[in-house]
Amino acid sequence: MSEINLIIDGKECKGASGDTILQVAQKNDVYIPTLCYLKGLTPIGSCRMCVVEVEGNAKLLTSCTTPAQDGMVVNTKTQKLFNYRKQILELLFAGRNHFCMFCSQSGDCELQTLAIEHGMDSVRYPYLYHDFENDATSEDLQMDHNRCILCGRCIRVCAEKVGAHTLDLEKRGWSANIITDLGSKLGDSETCVHCGACAQVCPTGTITIRDFVYRGRRNDCDDVVESICPLCSLGCEIKGYVRTGSLTRVEGSNLEGPDGGQLCHKGRWWLPESTERERLSVPMIREGSTFREASWEEALGLAASKMKDACQKGKAGAIVSGLSTDEELSVFHSVFKDTLDLKYFDCFIGDILRGFKKGFEPFVEQGVKPFTAAHNITSSDLVLILDADPQDEVPVTASYIRVNTIINGGKLANISSATNPFKGITDVDIKVSPEKMFNVITALVKAVSENEPIEVSGVDKTALEELAGMLKEANRPVFIFGGNFASDAKAVTQATNLAIASGSIFEDGLGIVPMVRHANSLAAINTVVGEEPWIGKADIDCLYVSSTGLIPEDSQSLEAMSMARFCIIHTPYMVHPLVNMADVLIPSPAWYERSGHFCTIEGERRKLNTMVKPQLNLKGLGEIFSTLTEKMGVKLNRSEVQPCENIFNSTVPADKACQVAVEEV
Amino acid sequence: MSRTIVKVGMASCGIAAGGGPVFDKLHSLLDGRDDVEVKKVGCIGFCYKEPLVEIEKDGVCVTYGEVDSALAEEIVEKHIDQGQILKEHVVLNNSAEAPENPRLENQVRIVLRNTGLIDPENIDEYIAREGYRGLEKALKEMTPMQVIQEILDSGLRGRGGAGFPTGLKWKFAHLAKADKKYFVCNADEGDPGAFMDRSVLEGDPHSVLEGMAVGAYAIGADEGIIYCRAEYPLAIKHLNRALEQARERGFLGDNIMGTGFSFDIHIKEGAGAFVCGEETAMIASIEGKRGMPRPRPPFPANSGIFGKPTNINNVETLANIPWIITHGSGEFSKYGIGKSRGTKVFALAGKINKGGLAEVPMGMPLRDVIFDVAGGIPNNRKFKAVQLGGPSGGCLPEELLDTPVDYESINATGAIMGSGGMVVMDETTCIVDVAKFFLSFVQKESCGKCPFCRIGTKRMLEILERISEGNGSHEDLDLLAELAVQIKDGSLCGLGQTAPNPVLTTLKYFKEEYLAHIDDKKCPAKVCTTLIHYSIDPEKCIGCTKCARNCPVDAITGEVKKLHVINDDICVRCGKCIEVCPVGAVTVE
Repeated sequence: MSEINLIIDGKECKGASGDTILQVAQKNDVYIPTLCYLKGLTPIGSCRMCVVEVEGNAKLLTSCTTPAQDGMVVNTKTQKLFNYRKQILELLFAGRNHFCMFCSQSGDCELQTLAIEHGMDSVRYPYLYHDFENDATSEDLQMDHNRCILCGRCIRVCAEKVGAHTLDLEKRGWSANIITDLGSKLGDSETCVHCGACAQVCPTGTITIRDFVYRGRRNDCDDVVESICPLCSLGCEIKGYVRTGSLTRVEGSNLEGPDGGQLCHKGRWWLPESTERERLSVPMIREGSTFREASWEEALGLAASKMKDACQKGKAGAIVSGLSTDEELSVFHSVFKDTLDLKYFDCFIGDILRGFKKGFEPFVEQGVKPFTAAHNITSSDLVLILDADPQDEVPVTASYIRVNTIINGGKLANISSATNPFKGITDVDIKVSPEKMFNVITALVKAVSENEPIEVSGVDKTALEELAGMLKEANRPVFIFGGNFASDAKAVTQATNLAIASGSIFEDGLGIVPMVRHANSLAAINTVVGEEPWIGKADIDCLYVSSTGLIPEDSQSLEAMSMARFCIIHTPYMVHPLVNMADVLIPSPAWYERSGHFCTIEGERRKLNTMVKPQLNLKGLGEIFSTLTEKMGVKLNRSEVQPCENIFNSTVPADKACQVAVEEV
Repeated sequence: MSRTIVKVGMASCGIAAGGGPVFDKLHSLLDGRDDVEVKKVGCIGFCYKEPLVEIEKDGVCVTYGEVDSALAEEIVEKHIDQGQILKEHVVLNNSAEAPENPRLENQVRIVLRNTGLIDPENIDEYIAREGYRGLEKALKEMTPMQVIQEILDSGLRGRGGAGFPTGLKWKFAHLAKADKKYFVCNADEGDPGAFMDRSVLEGDPHSVLEGMAVGAYAIGADEGIIYCRAEYPLAIKHLNRALEQARERGFLGDNIMGTGFSFDIHIKEGAGAFVCGEETAMIASIEGKRGMPRPRPPFPANSGIFGKPTNINNVETLANIPWIITHGSGEFSKYGIGKSRGTKVFALAGKINKGGLAEVPMGMPLRDVIFDVAGGIPNNRKFKAVQLGGPSGGCLPEELLDTPVDYESINATGAIMGSGGMVVMDETTCIVDVAKFFLSFVQKESCGKCPFCRIGTKRMLEILERISEGNGSHEDLDLLAELAVQIKDGSLCGLGQTAPNPVLTTLKYFKEEYLAHIDDKKCPAKVCTTLIHYSIDPEKCIGCTKCARNCPVDAITGEVKKLHVINDDICVRCGKCIEVCPVGAVTVE
């Protein structure tokens, strides 16, 4: 890409060929007002605010869409342009309900800001007072069409980034309006995935998030903290708006990254909600059917004595959360593995992680990284979903899959025992009962690598043949391994064989995207995932449980807690049913009070930053565990663990991967 | 003795005027006779005289106008059977003088060379008139670049309105490198008052298909799409029939005429959005998206349908192509002046005597088109304005009637050549009302993408409404002019950029009429209902009660043989009383 030189408003500006005039201006700190433009979305040049004059061209050009050319002389601030922009603002203001004093977004509104910038103190047109609908049918979002300026950002983010294509335009001329699906209410939409991306990009008060709407405008917030979302293994980059110790809204910050700054429903709503929940502020000890407050000394003392006894009997256990930071997970590892050497040590959803770990092992031994970055889905020509529900498990990958299928034209196939999560856009959908899953994958491996005829009793033969054909033809297929599917390590291995047979080779590894829910799954596999499953099976006298309280505990773990004779629950929140299981409750800082690192499933280390300083009398893990071990009379043994991003590191390129034999079931 | 051929004008205009029953009548009378053949043909352009029936007997062609079933019977009996021409009904006659002969003599028919003459559903008739000769010549004797050069030399420019040189457009698409290219025919004729393209499609569909095939060969496309508005069912029917026949004869499909060139065409029906005539909106619509324009670059020649190089030409442009290839660019460029060569088809409508279709050489003065070809203004009324180019065009006054019909001259007036709609207005037309009509059209048809077009045109319309109601001010006029210029300069697509033209030209040429509405609260043409008042002249009224009986809102009171009075508060200015008054006692002020 060659460098180009422009003169914008008399200033010499450098850009790269392929840049638009706006991009060059922004790179060189020349301000051009915009409204429909948003970084990361396709520019459409509809609002006309960014029009500029280019010398030698009689037309006014939208800088967001016009390619910059070497030698261009651009003027962005002439009186004529100023009048044009002011006229646009006037038309917009008088067109619908833009009475700022009644709008929750007043102060955060881009339309309002521009109006102030342009000194628009009155409009020359009578207000129309046309009554557009205020769609308040959705529990999450409110869409007041009366405040809409039809910039189309919501439509574009929903189509281009989320792939849901819930929103579009309806009607013509003056009546043109944003429409949901084919005219349904937002609350009844069949395609909306409730990610709130539309609300994040809305420049006015049209689409708002009902829960946060009056909790603080962006400008009112005390602090904006860059961090990551700890809810799943994608670790989406976020911006948290903090006001009076509370998180008032969360926005995706990686606008130009592959996710386009989108978040999923969980990230958008659960994170801010988590700052409003009832906290566990002091240690507590069970007393009959209730709890009493206790001192740290007493609570840890009780916990230590129970743990010590149980350790001696070999009946001590610990379950920790994969939503913990790297640093926290290594403390758990030091305590429960290196110091106490517990036989029963695992993390929530350990079975799934164990399945992935074991299933991938033969390939890791070959030096191959068995998965690829989730965003590579968008450059794939075929996505095969294996018993996964990406929208539920790792939601943003579902966006990648939709975008790849609908916009990029990739094919989509699904094999599952449950309902097809992408009904309507899949090319092949094969229903397979869980017990036949392995056989189907084995048959596919044979069909793809050895051209063997494919037949599995009770499974649609034509569909299988079609899928085998698609896999043979595909150049960059991606395989999505679901969590349920992964609890069977053999199936994971066999499906990895299928990926190799289909030539699923990406720059960073094999084209597999595993659905692991917990944000720090890679670190958990590295440090806390046990060798064998025991939760629900082992007889436990004392069980230590560390929960972040962010996502509900799985039923198997809860059952294990209820069966344990003594339960130490370490959690930030008074969440049920978790606290019901406790004999001792130990408070911990919530995710937004912590800092540390997470490792995304792709092996990228990202930083979780403290958003709100801990307000309570809380103790960190290090302090708690040194006290605990001291009271147990053991010396805390801190060993080195290898950095988790290395555990699946590749030493050879993915195309060197070989299939491995898996014994038939 | 050769067979007598009976041709019934069965284009939409003919059918609307009652051509169907006439055809049925003739068919039933003549069916089974070996010496007579009855067939349906397209529109010859004399729409005001429809239904038309042409009798070709012994080398003499006689066209009858305003034929009904009774006249049809008479024609069979007297003309066909006895060879006796019914002179009083003749419109055209190739062997003797006829009232409309001069009108045809004023025309040069290249685009309309076949319409009204051949049966559009019969490919043999097209072939008999040089059909597919141009394609054969192009494929067998010319390279794609030679074809493009021929079109460049001919000086042919886009007849859809903008007037971009067709050869140049093809050259860009030709030079674009891609594994797939599209050749699109824009048949989304949407201007109110325009029906040139419809007539060509209905009357001579093969000329368009042939033009497309030549163009596709020139640019290297293998897929053709005709984007035709669904409101043209007959055109679509004839196109489909023509496509079938062209495929059967090997003019479309694989390996055309054994030359190795393959090309086929399919039809995409537009759902009736005016903006889809804009090429980027059309591309979006063809792709299955909402028809909305997008900024250029990238130009369709580089990135059109599904990102592939796409060339889009209008129906009339394409109908010229076979003729140019067959007869040579020199023959074509013989007609016209300056940078506008060839002919232009106009749809003549409004206050004229001879509404219909006419093809005139470029450069003919507007005056000649209106007064010679279109037969002037009925009822000896005074000419007031001519609206060119539909809602994107402008209104020109009498002083500009000597403007020659060519792209540059017309653009210089503030109007545009447009697709060829020509609406003539006389002194009974209110200019503010005309501006209001076109603006209400574009503001409804705006796709809604840009605020200027979406809201701006609505605001302009409101101002015009205020003026026509007598509530306008001089500030309104200023705001109207300011908005018009800004919408023109600031809009994304052709629709928005030209939407203010009717207002800008009327403000330029007819400002006094606006001022009369504003200052005097008067509508000089007596059209704007809130500014006019009906009254009954006591001197003339004979008390016949006709007006009172016909008034739809009972605004007129009066007894038999006594003076009648109109209650101005109730009156809705429908004009019914003027119509029925036998003595002309009702006056409007």
